[in-house]
Amino acid sequence: MSDRRWLLPAAAAAATALLLVLPFYLGTFWLQTGLFAMSAAIGAIGLNLLTGATGQLSMGHAFFLAVGAYGYVYLASDSGPHLSGLGLPTPLAFLGAIVLAGVAGGLFSPIAGRLRGTYLGIASLALIFIGQHVLFNAESVTGGFNGRDVPPLELFGLRFDDSPELVVLNVPLGALERLWFLGVALLVPAVWIARGVLRGRPGRALNTIRDHEVAASVMGVPVARYRAGVFTLSSMYAGAAGALLALVFRRTVPDYFGMFLSLDYLAMIVIGGLGTAAGAVAGAVFVSVLPQLLTRFGDDLPLVAAPGSGGVSPAEAARILYGAAVVAVVLFLPGGLAGLWTRLRATASRHRSARPLTRLEQEEQPV
Amino acid sequence: MSEPAVTGLAVTGLTVRFAGLTALDGVGFTVAPGSVHALIGPNGAGKSTCFNVLSGVYRATEGGVRFGGTELTGLPPHRIAGLGVARTFQNLALSRHLSVEDNLMLGRHRLTRAGFASAGLRLPLARREDRAHRARVRDIARYVGVDEHLNAPAGSLPYGVQKRIELARALAMEPRLLLLDEPVAGMNGAERRRMAEVIARAREDLNLSVLLVEHDMGMVMRLADEVTVLDFGRRIAGGTPSEVQRDPAVLRAYLGAAHAPVGTDGTDGTGGTTGPDDTRGTRDIKDTAEETA
Repeated sequence: MSDRRWLLPAAAAAATALLLVLPFYLGTFWLQTGLFAMSAAIGAIGLNLLTGATGQLSMGHAFFLAVGAYGYVYLASDSGPHLSGLGLPTPLAFLGAIVLAGVAGGLFSPIAGRLRGTYLGIASLALIFIGQHVLFNAESVTGGFNGRDVPPLELFGLRFDDSPELVVLNVPLGALERLWFLGVALLVPAVWIARGVLRGRPGRALNTIRDHEVAASVMGVPVARYRAGVFTLSSMYAGAAGALLALVFRRTVPDYFGMFLSLDYLAMIVIGGLGTAAGAVAGAVFVSVLPQLLTRFGDDLPLVAAPGSGGVSPAEAARILYGAAVVAVVLFLPGGLAGLWTRLRATASRHRSARPLTRLEQEEQPV
Repeated sequence: MSEPAVTGLAVTGLTVRFAGLTALDGVGFTVAPGSVHALIGPNGAGKSTCFNVLSGVYRATEGGVRFGGTELTGLPPHRIAGLGVARTFQNLALSRHLSVEDNLMLGRHRLTRAGFASAGLRLPLARREDRAHRARVRDIARYVGVDEHLNAPAGSLPYGVQKRIELARALAMEPRLLLLDEPVAGMNGAERRRMAEVIARAREDLNLSVLLVEHDMGMVMRLADEVTVLDFGRRIAGGTPSEVQRDPAVLRAYLGAAHAPVGTDGTDGTGGTTGPDDTRGTRDIKDTAEETA
């Protein structure tokens, strides 16, 4: 085990390098799909900290994504005749959006700290409806039904937009390519921080709260405070995901941040694997790439029709498919896609070296 | 951090009611510093309720619990743990999927500081702390004899080993008072002996006060300096193990009124101890004979 400790950092570095090279080769469709997946991965890591690691169900994740997306737009836009905004420098607005989502999570945390598991799920459902109401009606901030344009991010003189042309190695880097690098620059630390939290002191406390709440509290873990803390952290992840998503969409619309989005996120962490950052990423890729693939290649597939033509639309087909995937994972793959990977690795290492039989201690020997 | 010299536990007039059911009724006893005090009684006598009050899981209706100059009743569990009160559970309460080492590291929670930010960003403080406490936890695992399982998920191990891990986790808290809820329940003879050895050794080496709930009389007689007997939520007897063994009220509670010495009045409510409790009690007393032999 220990002589292969370099393997994981090496694999992580290789994966990051691959992610950084990809935009030089991928077309618009794949870039957009990849950006959706990265944004979803960041959000799913947040939900996995809360639901997977701590056992606290949240239906309100879409609300915090909305806070991140609209927060960024509000903080970064200049005030106009109909719409208000603070006109902050965009990087500051991005950080502000994350903080804002954290504050929103913090405001909800007295409830999040006191409610356990599924009860929190029901309470957090209210956030979706409150969120939708505010998004549709606070028109000067959110733009109402039509939503708002998202001002492009500008970091160290680099605009994450198409307009000032940028050519690197003969490849023109447009908005999507540039955002891709931003996505990687957000996703990598998101994974790294989540792993640190989960493997460190807070992670052990969270896992024990999930596995045996009473044991956690008598071992000195202030259960309510940890539940509140992880709820806040998870909403900050959602805020970052929402702000990135807004930059990719270039327009925020209220419809998107409904209950289905929350359900999508729950599907991601169940399919990917509960309780780990890797699981969240795997599930996010699966759930966000699938509808895109069905849209793109729907013409060649039976039973999938173009939207509006009467058949099953690609989005619906995708929902049905990953609904089935959730069922399949629950039945056959406890641990999800990430668990499958661990299992494959365990099988491989068993093949390499036959495991010695565990010897019974002398006094445990059958008489 | 000057720890008070007197770290004894004093329970006075402890009463717990659940919606009309009185689980504990004016129970009082003291655990002298550095001693092993056993709490025994038939099933349903209120032993586990008492433990849950001492560790803050249940609230006392009346009465007080003082530990080293602090009143424990009314404190939340994590504050009581912070005072150095550790407990194990009658039924296993480990994190099944976490490794044994991580389970033990949870015991260090009250002694460590790293929060979300410092653990997430792997600040030097968190790294240093983690390294130091992992070393100590491995020592404790060796001490209790679970060091060979450190990397295994706790849930994958045999019952007896998991019981020992629970003890190790409690010891990892560096407690001043250790509450052990049936530490050898469901174990075979060899495992029981081994557990008793570890407990006795830990008490010597770490200068612990121990409160022990146990049905195994051999274990109680061997380990305890003092015994308190509960029945139907009341304290019916107390004293040294040999005194308690001969106490008529104890015999009546365990074996039923028929076995009580002639001449005591049989109407003081304990006559209700019939049914399965009786056979259970009988078996326990027999165990005693085997164990001590």
